[in-house]
Amino acid sequence: MPAVAIPTVVLALAATVAFGLRKRVRDVAILSLLALATAMTLIALLPDGASGALLELPLRLSPLARLACLVCIGTLLLLVVDVWIGEPAYNFFPTALGVGAAVTAALLLVTPLAMYAVLIAALLLPVGSFVFQVQRNRSVEAALRHFGFVALGGCLGLAALALAARLPHDEPANTFVLLVVVLIVAFALKLAAIPFHTHAALLAGEAPTAALALYFGVLVPATFIAFVEILTLSGLLPAIIQVTRVPELLLGIGLLSALGGALLATGAADLRRLVVCSVISNVGVALVGLSTLSGPGIVGGIAIALVTGICATQQLIAAGALERRALAGPPTAARAPLAAASFVAGGVGMIGAPPLLGFPGHFFVELIAYSYASWLGAALVLATLALLLAQVRAGIALFASSAGRGWTVERRPVAGLVGLVIFAMLLAGGVMPDAFLQPISAFADEFLRALRPL
Amino acid sequence: MLLLAVVAVGTLAANGSRGLRHAAVALAVVSCAAIGIATGIAVSPQLAVAAAAALVGAAILYVAARDGGYGEEAGWRVWLATLVAAVATPVAFASFRSVSSETIDVPLLGADARGVAVEVAAFWLIASGIAILLSARSAVRMSIGAYLMVGGVQLLVRLVPGPHLALTLLLSWLQVLISLAGAFLIVNERATRDT
Repeated sequence: MPAVAIPTVVLALAATVAFGLRKRVRDVAILSLLALATAMTLIALLPDGASGALLELPLRLSPLARLACLVCIGTLLLLVVDVWIGEPAYNFFPTALGVGAAVTAALLLVTPLAMYAVLIAALLLPVGSFVFQVQRNRSVEAALRHFGFVALGGCLGLAALALAARLPHDEPANTFVLLVVVLIVAFALKLAAIPFHTHAALLAGEAPTAALALYFGVLVPATFIAFVEILTLSGLLPAIIQVTRVPELLLGIGLLSALGGALLATGAADLRRLVVCSVISNVGVALVGLSTLSGPGIVGGIAIALVTGICATQQLIAAGALERRALAGPPTAARAPLAAASFVAGGVGMIGAPPLLGFPGHFFVELIAYSYASWLGAALVLATLALLLAQVRAGIALFASSAGRGWTVERRPVAGLVGLVIFAMLLAGGVMPDAFLQPISAFADEFLRALRPL
Repeated sequence: MLLLAVVAVGTLAANGSRGLRHAAVALAVVSCAAIGIATGIAVSPQLAVAAAAALVGAAILYVAARDGGYGEEAGWRVWLATLVAAVATPVAFASFRSVSSETIDVPLLGADARGVAVEVAAFWLIASGIAILLSARSAVRMSIGAYLMVGGVQLLVRLVPGPHLALTLLLSWLQVLISLAGAFLIVNERATRDT
């Protein structure tokens, strides 16, 4: 077995064992932490460009794949700590390990069809963790919609890729353009981009916060990166550049999501909806960056996707802790001040404010958007302002409702500590962004070469 | 051609069945016929893997039903799905055909080495699956739609050059996973309705 496949195999085996032991929460949590830490170490130790083949499927550890794998597995590790200590849910651990294995495999594979198939599997795995308290909420309906969206988008995308790989290159460009359009819509369904976001809205209200973090914190960024990699590897990019309507479609979906998500966030009734709408808005901004088909746009888009996932995890973990401490009442900082501080810090990262790591991505995309068209740049700034307003409003509501109450620090401040770790990493990354941006810019070079093959 | 007819009739049966168990049996028949269509372009190990996954997937849905009466009344949705599949299949075949000659010769019995029947069956299954999935009201028909779609995708992938056995394995796992997720939702949805 090639060394590059070992992290995936470790996580897959751990997921299988964890499923068997899932009722023993402490044991399975320790196993999950060990497996995730082992996979992270292995990925960090492998040399750049390490490659091999598993069942004839080629694998390669590109700099971007390494970065994305480390971010996704690191996020999963923090989630496992939170679920173990703060919100014990036995079915979460095997799901998290399975998602880790599938996401790692999807990022390491270089065959578009295989990447896509594994990605669909990763998106289907959380269905089990979305469903809880079925007699008291609509979590089954939410999970069902998610299942429908993933199955529809997944099969459409796979069919488009299979047809694109099989058709002779002398086919009319319109045929390939049609396939690219199907592929874009298939990914929009999985990224919950507006207008394909209805399942996300329902999930936000009914699923547990840890499961939401699994989807919006790990799977959405991984899906975005897989989308860009699949476009690069599928050979469809030259067809995209020939017909301006395809980037315009991507731009339209991205802009609609950026503005729509931000507007929905301003009217969000609770913290978790605010986070989900913020993710949708940022995914829209990332899609706008990608649609410019330029180096800064691609670098910015991927950077935004990764940082958004981390911040969403931080905010959702904090929102879960605030909800649990508030019992039936509205969440308030008085009952969980550290979680409230973590939520606010996550909001700062989510809007891309300096000096955190979210800033370079937003800066690149908004800069290139202004050079593309001034109205486009203005629209993205408007979306960021609306997001800022929504986050500030939520922060004020959390702390204002605490006035006159006695403050009680959490007995087990896991959300606050996880938030502190994430904030420190985002701050360190923001001060020294080169380590984060270099792997992404190396991939952007590959993307641009695939766009205009010699 | 005969197997194509089995795929079409089996899809209609799965689409129109009131009970999930009848639909699961019809899905197994459709899958077996689809695998039979692909004998000309796939080797035995691939076909064996695909057949095992298809049967396991259908069996999971059969077990999830728990009794013969549980399912979803399709009503007018049967006709919608049939109409969509009937219209979309020739359109997709004409748009994405990879067969270059003008005359298309498909034997009544036996293998279709050029993949014409494979393409037609794939487009039929995907179009039917989309229509069933989009018009579904519950987990039952959504699972049936997803199962048909992934079956169609498997046929299309067989025509792609590349590591066939690995792709067959991946898609077979995906088919089983879709059935498992669908069954999980069916069981939970029923629990919600029963209380």
